[in-house]
Amino acid sequence: MLILAFDTATDVATSALVSDGEVLGERVSTAVTLLEDLDALLRQAGTQTRQVEGLAVGIGPGSFTGIRIGLATARGLALALGTPAAGVSTLAALAAGAPRAVPVIDARRGEVFVLQEEPRVLVPGAFRPAPGTLCVGSGAVRYRSVLEAAGAEIPPDRDERHLPRARFHAALARNFGPAEALTPLYLRIPDADRTRTRA
Amino acid sequence: MILGIETSCDETAAALISEGGRIFANIVSSQADLHARYGGVVPEVASRRHLELVTPVVREALGMAGATLDDVELVGVTTGPGLIGALLVGLSAAKAIAWARRLPLAAVDHLDGHVASLYLEPAPLEPPFLCLLASGGHTLLLDVADRGAKPRLLGTTLDDAAGEAFDKGARLLGLGYPGGAAIDRLARDGDPEAYDFPVARVSGFDFSFSGLKTALLYAVRELEAAELELRRADLAASYQRAIVRALAERTREAAAATGARKLAVVGGVAANSELRRALPDAALAPLELCTDNAAMIASAARFTEAISYPGYLGLDAYASTA
Ligand SMILES: [Zn+2]
Repeated sequence: MLILAFDTATDVATSALVSDGEVLGERVSTAVTLLEDLDALLRQAGTQTRQVEGLAVGIGPGSFTGIRIGLATARGLALALGTPAAGVSTLAALAAGAPRAVPVIDARRGEVFVLQEEPRVLVPGAFRPAPGTLCVGSGAVRYRSVLEAAGAEIPPDRDERHLPRARFHAALARNFGPAEALTPLYLRIPDADRTRTRA
Repeated sequence: MILGIETSCDETAAALISEGGRIFANIVSSQADLHARYGGVVPEVASRRHLELVTPVVREALGMAGATLDDVELVGVTTGPGLIGALLVGLSAAKAIAWARRLPLAAVDHLDGHVASLYLEPAPLEPPFLCLLASGGHTLLLDVADRGAKPRLLGTTLDDAAGEAFDKGARLLGLGYPGGAAIDRLARDGDPEAYDFPVARVSGFDFSFSGLKTALLYAVRELEAAELELRRADLAASYQRAIVRALAERTREAAAATGARKLAVVGGVAANSELRRALPDAALAPLELCTDNAAMIASAARFTEAISYPGYLGLDAYASTA
C-alpha cells in the first residue's frame, strides 16, 4: 500500500511517502509549505497523486491551527483523489519513534501534552516522570530544565526523536476510511467555552 | 468551471460559477447560530467548525451543480484579510484540491470578492462605479475603475465597522446576534427621529461609529427597565438611522468628489432595508451575495492572476492588509 503520511500539529511539518513499509522519502518543514514537501516526495519517487492509496494524518495534540492545516489538507486530498485516510495521534507517532520514551508536546500557555496511558494536558511541574525516564518532543525540549530537574532524560535539542516523523504515522495507520470522519485531538475546549462553563 | 472557497470569518462557503459569471451553485453554511450564544464570532470556535464543513460544502456545491472536479478548471480561495486560523482551513483544503488535480489557483482578497459579487450574472455591473463595502469587519469607500485593477481606497472606518456598530448596538438593546438583522426588524416599529444620535464628522471620507455606540449606551442607561422596553424600538430606529445616514452621506460626498455616475453597495450591511432606501439609485447584489459567500470569491478569481502549479504550494494566508 502506498501511503502518504504527514503531521503539522507541532511547530514542524513532517511528511513521508511509504510503500508497503518501505520509506521512499521523508521531509521536514513547516505547515504552510506542507504541500511543497508532499509534491517533492511524489516527484522524487516518480509517483502521481492518483497512485497514492492511503493518507496517514497526524490529528494532534499540538497547535490547533497546525492540526487543522493537516486535516484540511487531508480532507481536500481525499475529496480530490478519493483516497481513504487514517488519523494517527501525534503523541503515538512520537512514542513509536522513541521506544520506552514518554512523548511531551509543547501545548503553549505553559502547559504540555503528554502520553501517560492516555493523552493529557498539564503544567510541566505537575508531570513527574520516574527517574531516568526518556522524554522526547517539543515540550521536552522547551521544558528541559524543569523535566531534567524532575529526573527525566532528554536527548539533545536537535535529536530527530523530538520530531513526530511521518514514517511512524504510516506504520501506525489503521482503519482507513473517509477523511471527513477523522476527528482532531484538541484536548482543550476553546477559551470562550471555558469562561462560559465557569460563569 | 471555477470552484470558489471562502472561510475568512463565520461562513463556510463553496461555489461553482462559469467563466462568464453564471452561478451553478452557491453553498453557504452559516455559523451564526453557533456564535449567537457568545454574542459574536469566536475565532477558535469558527475555525473548528470550518474544518468540519469545508469539504462537505464543496461536495454539496458539486452535487447542486451536477458537476465533478473534472469540470473544474480553476480554484479560487480567500487568502485574506480575515481570521487567520479560519482562512488557513479553506486555503489548505483549496491548495490540496488544486495540487491533487494540478489545477491553477487564484489567491483572492476577500474585499475584492465583495466587489466582484457585482460582476455575477444575471445583471453584472460595469465599472467605473463608487462602491460602499459595509460588513461586520469592514467599512470602505472604493473607487472602482476596472474589474481587474485594485480599487482606489477613498475612506475607511477609524474605529468600528458598520456591521460591528449594529452588533454592539443590538447587544446594548438586549437583542440577539447577528445584530444587523435584529435592529432592522425592531426599527420598523420605532420612530427614527425619537433620539438624535450624533455621528462624528471626521475628515475626508472616513467613518467613525464609536461615539454613536457610546451615545446609545448612555441613552439606555437613563431608562428604567420598564421604560427601556417601551422605547427599545425607538432606540433601534434612531440608532439605525444614524448609522445609515453616515454611510449614505459619505457615499454621496465621495461620489460627488470623484464624479462617479454609478453607486454600488456590497457587504452584509447592504442587506439593511433602511440603507437600501437611503441609496435607492445604488446597485445592490442579491441578498445572498451581500453576506460572505464563495460565488463572489469565484467571481473575483476571474479577475485575479491565477498561480499555476507548483507556484501556490507554499501560499500563506494573511489576517490584514499591510
Ligand atoms: Zn466579508
